[in-house]
Amino acid sequence: MTGVSGNLRPLVRTLVPALVPARLPALLLALAMAVPACVAAGALTPTERARILAHGPWPPPPALDPGNALAGRGEAVALGQQLFFDPRLSPDARMACASCHLPALAFTDGRARAHGRVELQRNAPSLWNAVHARWWNWDGAADSLWSQAIGPLSDARELASRGSHLRALVGGDADLACRWRRVFGAPPPADDEAMRVATAKALAAFVGSLVSAPTPFDAYRDALARGDEAAMARYPDAARRGLQLFVGRGRCHLCHAGPGFSNGEFGDIGAGFFVRPGVVDSGRHGGIQALQASPFTLLSAHADAPGEAAVKTRHVYPQHRNFGEFKVPSLRNVAQTAPYLHDGRLASLADVVRHYSQLDLDRLHADGERILEPLGLSAGEQRDLLAFLDSLSDPGARQWRPPPPGPCQPAPDAVKPLTPRALAGPR
Amino acid sequence: MTRAARCALLLALAAPLAAAAAGCGDTLDARHRLEAASARHRVAFVPQPAPLAAGRHFSLDLVVCPQGDASLPLALRVDADMPAHRHGMNYRPTVRALGDGRYRVDGLLLHMPGRWRFVFDLSADGRLERLTREVDVE
Repeated sequence: MTGVSGNLRPLVRTLVPALVPARLPALLLALAMAVPACVAAGALTPTERARILAHGPWPPPPALDPGNALAGRGEAVALGQQLFFDPRLSPDARMACASCHLPALAFTDGRARAHGRVELQRNAPSLWNAVHARWWNWDGAADSLWSQAIGPLSDARELASRGSHLRALVGGDADLACRWRRVFGAPPPADDEAMRVATAKALAAFVGSLVSAPTPFDAYRDALARGDEAAMARYPDAARRGLQLFVGRGRCHLCHAGPGFSNGEFGDIGAGFFVRPGVVDSGRHGGIQALQASPFTLLSAHADAPGEAAVKTRHVYPQHRNFGEFKVPSLRNVAQTAPYLHDGRLASLADVVRHYSQLDLDRLHADGERILEPLGLSAGEQRDLLAFLDSLSDPGARQWRPPPPGPCQPAPDAVKPLTPRALAGPR
Repeated sequence: MTRAARCALLLALAAPLAAAAAGCGDTLDARHRLEAASARHRVAFVPQPAPLAAGRHFSLDLVVCPQGDASLPLALRVDADMPAHRHGMNYRPTVRALGDGRYRVDGLLLHMPGRWRFVFDLSADGRLERLTREVDVE
């Protein structure tokens, strides 16, 4: 196409002299503002657009800890928060849940491997958005937040709390005793196991309330959904290029799927699984075996009406390829949760991106599964991917502090118990 | 032959053909109905909830329709895999026979977006048959 067609020439001859002298700066400014928006919008293929939209909206509909009658109840959340930050939860009053899950570190501890009373085998995961997971722990040995909480609460290497200690703690503290009675409608149970389960359910009610706020990525994604090109243009170009890599050539979205950036399942990424020479962490394979041996699953009498949530527990089964698989972590707030992988072996996000760029296929052992391949990313592409991952952080997450608890109002005489199963003891 | 008689004869001939042509699992929700077929059987199924989506558990309401002189299966096994990725599901579905070739399959989860293949293994008339149907999920 060359020049202006004959039909348009008179119009151009009329308009151009009239417009150019007075309006040229304004036109150029409008053009300059419009071009980035067009580039941002036009750069996406329909497939990329669909894949990006699948990562939202955020937050998703509220989720409740399955099998936990306390989930989502304000007084239980408050009780759980008090217990979570209280070092008296351990018998020697030296260790709280918050010792390994620090709010300022996105509820991680910043260490490669968590430190309880000794160094543990795995990295302490973030608790943000934990309620939206399907399985808990790196090996998925727990099928609910509350059953997960029983592990560190009871483990001799961690809090090492017995029911008798928990009962004495709650019974001997007027504020905790008041809150307990308001939540459960009864004093702490005499049965040790029932006491641990009830405490874990209160802790899980608090952890389940930790849902992070929307991120710069969410602002971009929502702008894309409504066609707001001006808002889309505010997303950094590097992050957008990284996002396109994430849903495109990188195929990261296959496992880091959905609004939570995790498909809730497990994968072998060639990270290695030796805890130390001669000692292996079997990952998901052992996790399923531990789950099936656990007395605290959604199929147990301790679960409060889990309903459809128990489908996963009923149908999961160990397969050979589960050996060395670990949970696909959510990427929300990932820039705040270093170090990385199940044993914290990679110090930085740049190391993680480099791991996938230079992946050693010989280290995969997943029965010939063909998902991962070395991405061979350029230095610029790695920077773009990091810019995208940075955009998945809730800017306020690190500033979160526990809200001060209000005074506990003693429960009226007749309060309907919320968790009859938790207080009933084993059946 | 009168016109009325010719019409009656045509209707009589057409009825079995129409019945034969009737879709397997017509009672299933046609908006979400999927099918797989072999020479001896057809399988129609609808996911619950529908439509299929990656990353959530679902069930199948399923109907098996024998073709020709084939019998209803004595046993049915249902699975799904991603041939391109060379992996299956992380869950083993359970199949419950409801009678008259109807089944309820519970416990499926397609844990990745992409192309999945449903696999139906039927045992009928002393033979094993495998029916498959590919689907794309996002």
